[in-house]
Amino acid sequence: MAEEKKKHKKRRTATEAAASIGPMVKEFISGTLRAKEEGRKVAFTFIVCLYDEILRAMDILPVWTENFAGICGAKRDAERFLERSESLGLSRSLCTYALCGIGFDQWREELGEMPPDAPWGGQVRPDMMLSSGQILCDPRNKWYQASQLYMPDVPVYNIDLPYPLYEDDVEFTDVRDYYVKHIIEELRGLVAFLEKQTGTKMDYDRLSETVDLGERTWNLIWETYDLRRAVPTPMGTGDAMNTMVPMCFMMGTQEAYDFFLGLNKELKEKVARKEGVVEDEKYRLLWGGGLPSWFALSDFNYFNSKGAVFPAETTYRMIESMYQIYMPDTNDPIERLAWRWFGYWVFWHNKARKRPGSHPDVEWLIQYIEDYKIDGIVMHEAFSCRTWHLGLIWQLNQLAKIYKPIPVLVLGKDGKKEKTNRELPSLVLESDIIDITTYSEVDTRNRIDAFIETLESVAKSKVH
Amino acid sequence: MNEKNSDIFSRIESYYSDYGQRAKELKNEGKKIIGYVCSFIPLEIITAAGCVPFRMRGDIHEPITKGNINLETIACPFYRSCFDLSVKGRYDFLDGSIVAHACDSMARTYAVWKYTLDLPYSHFVNLPHTLSKSSMEFFNEELNTFRKSLGGFAGKEISDDDLAEAIGLYNENRDKVKALYELRKPDPPIISGTELTKILTVGASLPVAEANQLFDEVLEELGKRKESPLKKVRRIMIDGACVDNIELVKLIEDLGGNVVIDTLCNGTRDNLPHTDIGGDPVSALADRYLNKINCPRTYRENKEQDLHKDLESRFGDIGFYAREFKADGAILYVYKYCDPFGFEVPARKAYFDSIKLPLLYLEDEYSAGTIGQLKTRIQAFLEMLG
Amino acid sequence: MTKVVIMGEEIMSSVIGPTGPEQRRLANNVMKEALNRAGLPFKSISYVVATGYGRINVPFADKQITEITCHARGVASFFPDARTIIDIGGQDSKGIKINNGRPIDFVMNDKCAAGSGRFLEIIADTLGIKIEEMGELALQSKNPAVISNICTIFAEQEVVDKLAEGIPLKNLVAGILESLANRVSRMVKRLKIEREVILTGGVAKNAGMVQALSDKLGYPVSVPPEPLLTGAVGATLLGKEIAQKAKERDESPERKERSLKEIEIL
Repeated sequence: MAEEKKKHKKRRTATEAAASIGPMVKEFISGTLRAKEEGRKVAFTFIVCLYDEILRAMDILPVWTENFAGICGAKRDAERFLERSESLGLSRSLCTYALCGIGFDQWREELGEMPPDAPWGGQVRPDMMLSSGQILCDPRNKWYQASQLYMPDVPVYNIDLPYPLYEDDVEFTDVRDYYVKHIIEELRGLVAFLEKQTGTKMDYDRLSETVDLGERTWNLIWETYDLRRAVPTPMGTGDAMNTMVPMCFMMGTQEAYDFFLGLNKELKEKVARKEGVVEDEKYRLLWGGGLPSWFALSDFNYFNSKGAVFPAETTYRMIESMYQIYMPDTNDPIERLAWRWFGYWVFWHNKARKRPGSHPDVEWLIQYIEDYKIDGIVMHEAFSCRTWHLGLIWQLNQLAKIYKPIPVLVLGKDGKKEKTNRELPSLVLESDIIDITTYSEVDTRNRIDAFIETLESVAKSKVH
Repeated sequence: MNEKNSDIFSRIESYYSDYGQRAKELKNEGKKIIGYVCSFIPLEIITAAGCVPFRMRGDIHEPITKGNINLETIACPFYRSCFDLSVKGRYDFLDGSIVAHACDSMARTYAVWKYTLDLPYSHFVNLPHTLSKSSMEFFNEELNTFRKSLGGFAGKEISDDDLAEAIGLYNENRDKVKALYELRKPDPPIISGTELTKILTVGASLPVAEANQLFDEVLEELGKRKESPLKKVRRIMIDGACVDNIELVKLIEDLGGNVVIDTLCNGTRDNLPHTDIGGDPVSALADRYLNKINCPRTYRENKEQDLHKDLESRFGDIGFYAREFKADGAILYVYKYCDPFGFEVPARKAYFDSIKLPLLYLEDEYSAGTIGQLKTRIQAFLEMLG
Repeated sequence: MTKVVIMGEEIMSSVIGPTGPEQRRLANNVMKEALNRAGLPFKSISYVVATGYGRINVPFADKQITEITCHARGVASFFPDARTIIDIGGQDSKGIKINNGRPIDFVMNDKCAAGSGRFLEIIADTLGIKIEEMGELALQSKNPAVISNICTIFAEQEVVDKLAEGIPLKNLVAGILESLANRVSRMVKRLKIEREVILTGGVAKNAGMVQALSDKLGYPVSVPPEPLLTGAVGATLLGKEIAQKAKERDESPERKERSLKEIEIL
């Protein structure tokens, strides 16, 4: 272990804002430990579950369990918790975030105190656990139920947050009313549950303010990330895996807003100075899907060392411009949340309908390829997570089929060179989010090298 | 099967080994065949539309190859097998396929399925995960969306009367399956697990009226069995998802156990719950599919923070079946990469423990290649039961 | 390995012979050798039980019983207080909880070489050392290397890379044993281990491995005098019980048509 830890130094980020995330995350964890001591309510929570603003308005402190697992992974200290879960009878093929979390919680419950050397002080015992059955992730529906076996007195509340999939014969406007109605009801059910748990009523004026702040933050993030279109790009996906923290864990707080205000300023200055992630930007890549390997974020630096940058990613882009999301005339903050949710998930439907063979997920890639002047796509297949990773290969295949943006010359049948178009080069990395036993640095970097060579040869054969 | 003159069993054998032969015939007669893979597809609506629902099977003997081109290997191996066979043309008589929001492996690959197979019709039925009042209302609406969409494809407006008629046929079907299960109660059972698996598998490949006819003939034939062809040995329950190839059941029976009851998708989960009649047919279907089908993908609230009551509300059917069918031991059979079942393994074990039913937990791929490994485990388990 | 134990009142002879693609068919040869050593003709053997992975390849057996049940019985004959057995063989590894010499629960890994003795064979081969040397080498290490890959093939590559980096051989070997101990204990822990814990199988002869496993579990594990033979001894004892019970009823035990020949497999 000693040898491994020495090698794992602090990763260099392009922006100062991204570098400031570490202490912020540390503060989440110690904050929840403090809050627990002070008798404040803490709730186990998942990202992208729409309840951020509701919790903030009720002073319930969220404990982001995926985040804690990610920290264990980044510190290369997840293995012992994963093993514990396995010895409870849980298969290693399941979501490793959940296995890490359940393993940790069971251990803490068994000891009656934090497991030895718990990363950053450990994950606190919650007062409640907020699950979510979505169309997105089975583990969110099952994880806390499984944890409850080891803490039967901690209540679980599960909210249903559906959104419609893309169909040929049904438009989202056909189903929107009953989707939104259901989401509103589910959120009201959650509020009632939280009121019961805390013994205080929801202050709806405060919730309105929080939701309002959340919406302003969405717009600010959208504007800020849009600055990355600049050539050279001032910020890459490596940094975005840090700046996702205020986006996904602090929505509805002034800190999150202020953070992105700071990042916005920093990026504008960099753009003005033409200061890029790397000095000599050669290839602009799109991180087109998949959660990162948290223990190997330095692979982004490896890309950078080859002159490759990531101006955009679809991963953790959990916001859209609120100006482009349909919002009816309502002041009810719960309704606003529901409409925002629905609008986010159907955001690419209309665009997809206009291009034959397209699909919202593919359309999203195309838009970013064009907006961010992309030369190639990289995806990561994490073996333990079906949620974000099923369908990625198909998206790449479908994209290649319907979208060939690179003009090249090829030898025709008569031996003459003909002009044609080819698809963007792509690379699929394979490992896991936190299970380091699936990762081989040598292998990963060999693949990256080969990909860079492909980009090089495509660039050469490109007809201008 | 010793009954030499029982041509019903040879017909079943033929339908089982050449799976889909009847659907092909019906297709040639101009019927629209609609494929599905999961218990949550409201078959009554498909039948009411004048289409034929067809339960797609995987094949544990067929290595997954072409399916891997568009579908990641981290998906449910059973679902991947079904997809692989479809890509290879095994089900090219299908006019459409319906996918339900049962699990990530299905929901997250809907586009893969839809675009790769490119069938004339496809639809995704979005099931809520919770059982709140609002969820039921939502699912009601979602079923109506499906009803309208499929009606559009079939060129037929599906009326309440059409639905009521289909519900009647399926309820009859479930009565007949119940009667078949009754034959497993004697010791030794009148019918082996291998036989019943084949019968039910075949039933799911036929129009419901034909399946009803077939089950009637089977029941009549089995009525003639004065003595069980089986030995009086340990009685085994299988708990799990979809086991649509007979090999596992046959292996247990070859090793000297009788499979007498299950909670499987293509067993009791699909086949026993009835739809209420008399009221609004769509609400009744919503209630049957969301509420009555007990699958770990649906969240059942632990209302009283009581572990024992929670286990009972989630797994009570296991205990009920175990008592009714006098199981001596159970095999919890879970596919690798299955999040809904996988996360429940400790809780299920705790439940089996609480009802004092010896349990063997098997995690498996969907492949004939693992039979040797299963054999040692199952044989050892049967030795343990004594 | 193919093992034969012949027992009367006590063990009369035991042989450990090879198993391989070719020898798999040749259980009869090992049997003949054991009969020779005991000085007995085959017809004097009243009952034969075959066990283990190759139990179906023994045409002269009267009964096949899984290694789970046989190990339980065999280990209990040496250690009456045994509650948990960890068996690491060449093909697989398993954990068995026992009570009164009978298995009450078990877990197995026969899917992946990295959890079995085969892992050590392959790595020893890669490192160019004898497998018997591994234990001693590992015990000399104070700083075992971390082997992070769980797949045998990748671990092999990792070991080669680490050797090239200059990590001492003893640390590598210790790391490899730790990695195997890790995998095995991870699996066996699913059983809620109770003491006393007995380690059997070829790997139990490796002192470094016994140490690594004890460290991982946090308490000592015991090893029977002939850790390779416990399964065969168990099979013999179970066979003897069957024969004796039949005798008490004044019957001869139910036996199969026997032939002391190699089996025909395609």
